[in-house]
Amino acid sequence: MAKRNWWLTAVVIAVVAACGGTTASPSPAPSNPSASGTPSATATAGATEAPAAAVPTVPTGYTELDAALGADKPYAGKKVGIQTQWISGEGANFTAAFADFAAATGIVITNEGIGANHEQLLKTRLEGNSPPDLAMLAQPSAVVSYGQDGKLLDIASFMDPTKVNGDFSKTIGFLTDGSHIWGVPYKVDVKSTVWYPIKAFEAKGYQVPTTYQELLDLSDQIVTDGSHPWCLAIESGGATGWIATDWLEDAVLRTAGIDAYQRWITGDLKFNSPEIKTAMDDIAKVFFGNGYVDGGTTAITGTDFRTAMDPMFTDFTNPGCWMQKQATWFGPDFFPDARNNPGTPSQYKVGTDVGIFYFPPIDAAQGKPVLGAGDTLLVPVPANGGEVRPEVKAVAEFLSLPEGTENWIRAGSAISANEKTPAEWYAGAYKLKVANDMLTNATSFGFDASDLMPTVVGSGSEWELLTQWINGGGTSPTTEDVLSQIDASWPTTP
Amino acid sequence: MASQAGARSMSAMTRRLVVPLGLIGAIAIIVIGGAFLADREGAPKLLAIIYDLIGSHDRADELRQGIGDTTLAKLLLGGVALLVGVGGVWLFYITASAFVGMMKPNRQARIIPWVFVLPAVALLVVFLVYPTVATIITSLTVDGGFAANYGAMFSGPMIAVFRNNLIWLVVATGGSVFLGLIIAGLFDRVRREALAKTFVFLPLAISLVGASVIWRFVYVWRPPSQPQYGLLNAVWTGVGFDPINWIATPPINTYLLILIMIWLQTGFAMVVLSAAIKGVSIEVIEAARLDGASERQLFFRVIVPIIKGSIITVATTIAIAVLKIFDIVYVTTQGRYDTDVVANRMFLEMFVFFRDGRAAALAVVLFIAVLPVMFLNLRNLRTQGIGQ
Repeated sequence: MAKRNWWLTAVVIAVVAACGGTTASPSPAPSNPSASGTPSATATAGATEAPAAAVPTVPTGYTELDAALGADKPYAGKKVGIQTQWISGEGANFTAAFADFAAATGIVITNEGIGANHEQLLKTRLEGNSPPDLAMLAQPSAVVSYGQDGKLLDIASFMDPTKVNGDFSKTIGFLTDGSHIWGVPYKVDVKSTVWYPIKAFEAKGYQVPTTYQELLDLSDQIVTDGSHPWCLAIESGGATGWIATDWLEDAVLRTAGIDAYQRWITGDLKFNSPEIKTAMDDIAKVFFGNGYVDGGTTAITGTDFRTAMDPMFTDFTNPGCWMQKQATWFGPDFFPDARNNPGTPSQYKVGTDVGIFYFPPIDAAQGKPVLGAGDTLLVPVPANGGEVRPEVKAVAEFLSLPEGTENWIRAGSAISANEKTPAEWYAGAYKLKVANDMLTNATSFGFDASDLMPTVVGSGSEWELLTQWINGGGTSPTTEDVLSQIDASWPTTP
Repeated sequence: MASQAGARSMSAMTRRLVVPLGLIGAIAIIVIGGAFLADREGAPKLLAIIYDLIGSHDRADELRQGIGDTTLAKLLLGGVALLVGVGGVWLFYITASAFVGMMKPNRQARIIPWVFVLPAVALLVVFLVYPTVATIITSLTVDGGFAANYGAMFSGPMIAVFRNNLIWLVVATGGSVFLGLIIAGLFDRVRREALAKTFVFLPLAISLVGASVIWRFVYVWRPPSQPQYGLLNAVWTGVGFDPINWIATPPINTYLLILIMIWLQTGFAMVVLSAAIKGVSIEVIEAARLDGASERQLFFRVIVPIIKGSIITVATTIAIAVLKIFDIVYVTTQGRYDTDVVANRMFLEMFVFFRDGRAAALAVVLFIAVLPVMFLNLRNLRTQGIGQ
């Protein structure tokens, strides 16, 4: 008996000692962060990688960024994770965008790409006291709402607000509530774009339409010629309906104008108003046009939007559908041959095989408006209200500069939100040139309204009811019913 | 004495030593282990120190710079978690046992059960009672409070949501139990009973999400000009009709989603009820036959009443699962086309509309709706002598 007791006590002491030992040693570790490894690495890397491609030149105007790019690489080995919605092709492009910067500074930057439910996961992490270092979000209204809940760091607290306002004069307004800036615009996309098969158009003698009536006439012509003009599919899982909201927004900009559009976003202009109803009637001409979509409205709501343009490629000289209205983030990665063989690029080239034209004006009086959207970088307050680490700030500052998107632009697939981005970067890529020209010629620019409205409307009732409207052929429920039901869902308390 | 509880076998002096040491050890494990597990870089740091100790400084530096292989660090983290969890619980029992051993014998008998139940109760409070109370408070205070959050349940779209849940409750539960009962009764007589039952039972091994994805392919719709690769539409068009987008066509879509649940749950009902049928004594069955009962009468008038307890258990268990149904609806329709249910609406309010108060109120309503079924289930288990 005495032996057993001694053994017991010994184990208790051993466990206590072991646990004490394990934790006594980790604690001093952070105080000497790899003192031996860093300087030697700096010496070699600093000499060879100095003229790296997409790295801003010091001074950049931002304190932490200048420090990060310093010769002593103070943040080498530090980790920064960015939660985004970009996976596969887009994920690789984003990773390339910060790769040169990561190599130059030694900061270990990771794209934590979440394909589906990115917004839900971000909410859980922000509210669950386990936020990512940085994150990208497409809904400015959600960014401002997180900021006001105290989940985000005010950008103006570490980045010169005058410079930020100057770099993003067109978009920064969506991210401020007067005294704070809750995010940095990163990437913008033009949504008023229609994709079409260039050579098939030429072979049939079709002209790119310059008015909405010409677009409808062309659609009728294609039906007469025995095909279906529109590659139109809106099924997108939990987000089904967002493509319909883009159509409506483009139509509102073209019929009611930018001022009415802005009042619509704030709720001052109701959905069930003559302005919005007119726009609905205009898009109804395409959605419910006889023979416009193979399979009709059931096909529109029941087909995955990623596969909308697939019928165009089954016989590329004689397409099964001819036009897809989709934003500039769309591209060869989504063409069926590339999608079905991951890793191999599509055989179809944008600019020679597939072209883009501007979604034409409806009412000439409203000029040439452009609808766009964008991704916003936000800086969460770390767990337990800690300080944001300087290397995180440095990465945020880097991503705010034109160089933060440069490699993605050069890959031919992104437009920087930073207005100081040199125009010649876009020159080589057809898609970006077209988009940039549209932005330059635009008489007004509307930011995606559904991303700015309260989420219960912009990501909820509007998606749901427009889907029902299309599914019911515009008659059950009727346009008025749909619009007044969306109005009814508008939150009474902010 | 030695054969009884370990605490009593210790001498008084050892007890005085074990109690404070165990107490210090338990506190140390909780504080130090907790701090270690909370530090995201904890495991790599510890592994780097171990590498330094064994002289592999290069690997240690790589880990500190965040470029080394972290597989080992993850394993180490698991090991430490196991040590903290198992070691901590073990230490707690040793200490508590020694502590109780210091008391008078008549008190020991009353306290010992509590010592063993306490950790479970504590975990229940932390992970079940606290969230429940927090949810109720959220539903009463956030997003306009009680009136707004519970009032919203009587608005137009919500009534359809509750109606759908009711359809689910009746059809899915009834369908699974009825089919399970019939199949159990019939398979009782077939020669390769085990094999036949395996096929019915097999879907139960598939997750709700997996089953929903499979059935979404069954219901898939393609334009009439295209080949139909959805099974249902392939048959439907084969008979000469136009393809129907089943999932987007109310009211049949709700029943087609319920079919997925029945497909999954029938196996469970069958297995439990089949065991109950085999438990009916042969004397009762023979007596019924001698009295001239037909096979149908024998099944519905004799066997079913005898296994009533099992039927209620199966029905209530499935009913609870059905009331909380989320996965099938979320994967197939996300609640669109008039198929919404309470749990899906709760997810939407929480994660899409960001209205935590509304979501919490729905959770409370769902909780209250499940309570009577749970009560029925527990009472039934008790009458069967299982819950005692």
